[in-house]
Amino acid sequence: MSKVTRRAFIGLAGVATVAVVGYGGAMLACRGVPRHNPDFFAGLDDEPLRQAAQEVGRRVLAEYPELVEDRALKSFLAARPRLAEAATVSCPDTRRRLVQDQCGADFAAGEARVLDGWVMSETELRLCGMAAKYA
Amino acid sequence: MLTDLQTLDDGASLKAPICIFGAGAAGITLALELEKQNIPCLLLEGGGLTFQEESQNIYKGEVIGDQNTDIAYSRLREFGGTTGHWTGQCLPLDPIDFEKREALPYSGWPITRADLDPFYERAQPYLQLGPFAYAPSDWNLEGPKLPLNPEKVAFGIFQYSPPTRFGETYRAPIETSKTIQCYYHANLTDLVIDEAGQITGAEVQTFGGKTMSVSADRFVIAAGGIENARLLLNFTKQRPAGIGNQHDLVGRYFMDHMNCKLGTFLPADPAINLSRYLAQIVDGTPLRVNLRLPAEVIEKQGLRNNALLLEPVWQSESHNDEFRDHSWLAFSSIAKSLAHGNPPDQFPSKLCTILDQPSSVAVGISRHLMREVVPHGELQSVFFKQDAEQAPNPDSRVTLEDATDRFGMKRAVLDWRITEDDLLSLRKTHELIGVAIGEAGLGRVKLGLGLPPNDDDIYTGYHHIGTTRMHDDPKQGVVDADCRVHSTKNLYIAGSSVFTTEGTANPTLTITALAIRLADHLGREAGDGQRHVGRNDAGQNQAGGDR
Ligand SMILES: Cc1cc2nc3c(=O)[nH]c(=O)nc-3n(C[C@H](O)[C@H](O)[C@H](O)COP(=O)(O)OP(=O)(O)OC[C@H]3O[C@@H](n4cnc5c(N)ncnc54)[C@H](O)[C@@H]3O)c2cc1C
Repeated sequence: MSKVTRRAFIGLAGVATVAVVGYGGAMLACRGVPRHNPDFFAGLDDEPLRQAAQEVGRRVLAEYPELVEDRALKSFLAARPRLAEAATVSCPDTRRRLVQDQCGADFAAGEARVLDGWVMSETELRLCGMAAKYA
Repeated sequence: MLTDLQTLDDGASLKAPICIFGAGAAGITLALELEKQNIPCLLLEGGGLTFQEESQNIYKGEVIGDQNTDIAYSRLREFGGTTGHWTGQCLPLDPIDFEKREALPYSGWPITRADLDPFYERAQPYLQLGPFAYAPSDWNLEGPKLPLNPEKVAFGIFQYSPPTRFGETYRAPIETSKTIQCYYHANLTDLVIDEAGQITGAEVQTFGGKTMSVSADRFVIAAGGIENARLLLNFTKQRPAGIGNQHDLVGRYFMDHMNCKLGTFLPADPAINLSRYLAQIVDGTPLRVNLRLPAEVIEKQGLRNNALLLEPVWQSESHNDEFRDHSWLAFSSIAKSLAHGNPPDQFPSKLCTILDQPSSVAVGISRHLMREVVPHGELQSVFFKQDAEQAPNPDSRVTLEDATDRFGMKRAVLDWRITEDDLLSLRKTHELIGVAIGEAGLGRVKLGLGLPPNDDDIYTGYHHIGTTRMHDDPKQGVVDADCRVHSTKNLYIAGSSVFTTEGTANPTLTITALAIRLADHLGREAGDGQRHVGRNDAGQNQAGGDR
């Protein structure tokens, strides 16, 4: 955990989910971006995606600030080893799968919230929240 | 026999063991089932054999509640009733719909789904449907299953009737029937009830000004979900509050389905194969898979029922159907009639509807042409389309206004209410389906209703339900489990007005099943002594016009 930097986690926001693409992306009018391209989900260096995640994150900060409090974030990340792993792997497909598995696990555990009408996992909300908070 | 009542003499009297008012889905099914038991009946239809403005005019009234509805033209007042323009989507009520549920006020039928199962089975052929099979596992469906957690999302089947136009399909069997004496232009205008609650006679009037009397052992009103209540409320000569209305229940608990395209599924993979969830024909039966919450989840979360259809939105506009408004429906119904070689009914009013909004017809025609040549392209999103359940609500109701129709009967006022709880339940249902979709990694869901929710995008399903609800307790329901009006000995109601709750099922299959059940009940009640078996001559006398 200690080896993984906050920046690495923030970068994961871009691979979080299709919600970032659909919701954040729509806000940034970048829906023309081809969604089915695996590289697209790599996300880390994708500027429109990062912006989309930040836009979502700003809503998270406004609506669910408790999700992005430092202490809450720390225990949240500690309890999600898939995210720690994703933050360190370089293969975009693996990274994407790990984050999406974690989102799926959140949904399965009922850890989901509605943000501006979108039903999102807490993982993606927190990652986006981090992207906005530490931008 | 099928005769214009106008051809009888003024003052004639009609007589049969059983008299049914209204020849729509309920009335025609009931008459045909009585015929199978060789029980003569009168089937008295207010309208003509086709659309007539003077008959339709009687359905005009006021809409004072939710405005996204209509009572004047959506119902059809003619032989065959509203099946003259129904869409044919069919589904039985679920077992849970019959139960008393804590979270659903005024719920709990006095019968169960198991009680109705044999009648559902017999109802299927009347609506020209396939076998009574509504689980996906009953069918050899095409297309892959979505990998959704079965504890969170369940699936069901809608079957589609051609749709059966009762006025066309059952005209010949009624014309040639030896036991059904069907008169059209026979408008029920009054019932006579004695102190003991026995209906001793009825009055019917023609548009040509003739009045006839009817006597029967048993009477059934099958005039549609709004009209059943309107008629009872109008019969005030011996019962000032209206027949069956001693507890101020007639007309209350009006429900419609919340028909809406709300909620969007954004698939992670635009190449996702949804073919299993789109229209398909299996073993000759047109059907479609719906998504719903399992009964246990509905119960645990305290929700209303909902079965939603997936409506893809494609990259190429020509494959999308959002242009389908009333104008398009009017146009397509004219086109379908002409394609079948029939003159379109209600042509002038449909033409006016089209002229109100001609652009959607132009868009529709061009899209249908384009579909032949342009591929649909990538999947953009998927709408949730549904007829969602509302809870029974005593304040949602049909009452009467002072304005009267040509027979001096007060017109209907429809106060359809949609409550915040109804909307919140739909929102929660979408949220739970969104969670299941997220869990399966299929994508994300955007809810169609915000907080607080508003009903701007909720429309009528044209399902008029609950106004003479069924309950064992006369203080809580207008009819008993046999559809008999509590405070009467021999008056019965057929149609969706007797539903205690509405579930998410389009009503006509249940209306038909209940009509068959009522026919069996009336047959049993009539008993061998009064059955007229093998006495067709006597039957004809019994069920004939006495000129
Ligand atoms: C646009 C539209 C689409 C629909 N789609 C579907 C669907 O997909 N699935 C579904 O299940 N349902 C659907 N419905 C509802 C369906 O049409 C009704 O549930 C069904 O027709 C009700 O049958 P009924 O016999 O109770 O009433 P009706 O069919 O309305 O018949 C009532 C009969 O009573 C007669 N009558 C009225 N007053 C009197 C009187 N005073 N004296 C004598 N006769 C009288 C009328 O003329 C009529 O013939 C739809 C309705 C509409 C309008």
